[in-house]
Amino acid sequence: MNSAPGPGPAQPAPATSHAAPPAPAAEPPPPPRINVFTVAIAAFALAAIASWPALRGSGRDLDTWGNVVRFVGYFFPPDWSVWHETVRALAETFQIAVLATVFAALLSLPLAALGARTIAPAWVAAPARLLMNFARTVPSLVWALFGVAIVGANPLAGVIALTLYSLGYLGKFYSDAFESVDAEVARGLSALGASRMQAFQYGLWPHARPLIVSHVIWMLEYNLRAASIIGYVGAGGLGAQLASYYEYQAWDKVATVLLFILALVTLLDLLGEWVRRHITRSLGVRR
Amino acid sequence: MQLRGLGIRRGERWLVRGLTADLPRGAFVAVVGPSGVGKSSFLASVAGLLAPAEGEVVVRCAQDGPHRPDDAEIQRCTGFVFQHNLLVPTATVLDNTLAGRLGRYPAWRTLFGLPGADRRAAYRILCDLGLGANVHRWSCQTSGGEQQRTAVARALLQEPDLYLADEPVSNLDAYLTGRVLGLLRNETREHGRTVLCVLHNADLVERFADLVLSFDPADPANWKLREVRR
Repeated sequence: MNSAPGPGPAQPAPATSHAAPPAPAAEPPPPPRINVFTVAIAAFALAAIASWPALRGSGRDLDTWGNVVRFVGYFFPPDWSVWHETVRALAETFQIAVLATVFAALLSLPLAALGARTIAPAWVAAPARLLMNFARTVPSLVWALFGVAIVGANPLAGVIALTLYSLGYLGKFYSDAFESVDAEVARGLSALGASRMQAFQYGLWPHARPLIVSHVIWMLEYNLRAASIIGYVGAGGLGAQLASYYEYQAWDKVATVLLFILALVTLLDLLGEWVRRHITRSLGVRR
Repeated sequence: MQLRGLGIRRGERWLVRGLTADLPRGAFVAVVGPSGVGKSSFLASVAGLLAPAEGEVVVRCAQDGPHRPDDAEIQRCTGFVFQHNLLVPTATVLDNTLAGRLGRYPAWRTLFGLPGADRRAAYRILCDLGLGANVHRWSCQTSGGEQQRTAVARALLQEPDLYLADEPVSNLDAYLTGRVLGLLRNETREHGRTVLCVLHNADLVERFADLVLSFDPADPANWKLREVRR
């Protein structure tokens, strides 16, 4: 066996008839100092420094900590006498959030397929992505104004608003999920005679489904919080109640409403976490 | 199946040149040669997944009429056991197997699953391959050998005229290796289907193959097709 001369220090000749393995290099080459990660960190640090003026405030002495203590004090103790109407409004908020999430979860599917560059050609994917960006860019409160303008001030306006808003998010999440899974499997099914639709349904979709379920749960949590706000402009749910308490500065009643929202969101968060953990554990067994 | 002056190239490197052969229906053909010689590329070429650099592959399906079959027809009558299995990790073993029958139906017919008869046939094959207890587990929750058998089950359920099996027993023990190759040879004997199977073990080649197609890494034109004498 021939041993190639290495760049390391000279080795003594081996005592046996077996040749020694090639000497390793003294030091591994250093990693490149500049990479995407370091550039991103540097850009972020520069942006933070440039944004510093946003912290200057009004410049007047406003007894900031005194304000904090006073304002927080208005919320305690919460006024539990409004629990009945709060529960009723919370139920309506929940209905708005659930329906908007269900509609968006279904409608996002074809939109996301069109926006995935591994499924659709670039000239289709680009406008589909642009449409999803637009839906995401418009705030949910503005979508709520749009909903109120077309169907009037009622929960339906909220459902329309949050469906449109969620389309932007879920469409993007689905598209990213479709692009992240191994497209070779779908191509393999095509090689076995499956049509494009079948290759998508049986090759891509089951692979992306755990990710998608996780995103839909996240969207439901988000919509629940958003549905609590959009009532400010008449789109149903807790928002209208919050707006009237705010109007009369009934902060103790606002506290009750917030605690109910917190309880529901926490419950949903626990449920979502359980589902996500289950999915992760299932996938973590062997990949 | 006819190979007419087939040439396959990967980049600048020729893997095979001038491969001309008639592979009779019902033959078990072992494809052999050292790693990297072009066996997988050859199977991909036969399946139409890799365009040959020269020559052509003519595949005749059993149901062919006088017309020449198009690519979709050839894919329907070609079953592939991929080297890396290409299973959906988050689909069950049963659903992965059923994917072998997708080509028989239009997309709208399989929107809500495949017919019960297909499910029963898939279950029978999975039981044959020792996977009866795993049918409802995700394939990512099964072992490498079980995944390989699932890929074989998918091809068997497809009942193709031509099997292309790329190292289908690389993760299996001796018993399961004999079982899988026995099932594939059964397909040739009982149903007149053709099998092209990449194998590395000379004993298995002698035991199961009718013909051996070997490639030479030093000379792409030095391929050899020989009969196995028993």
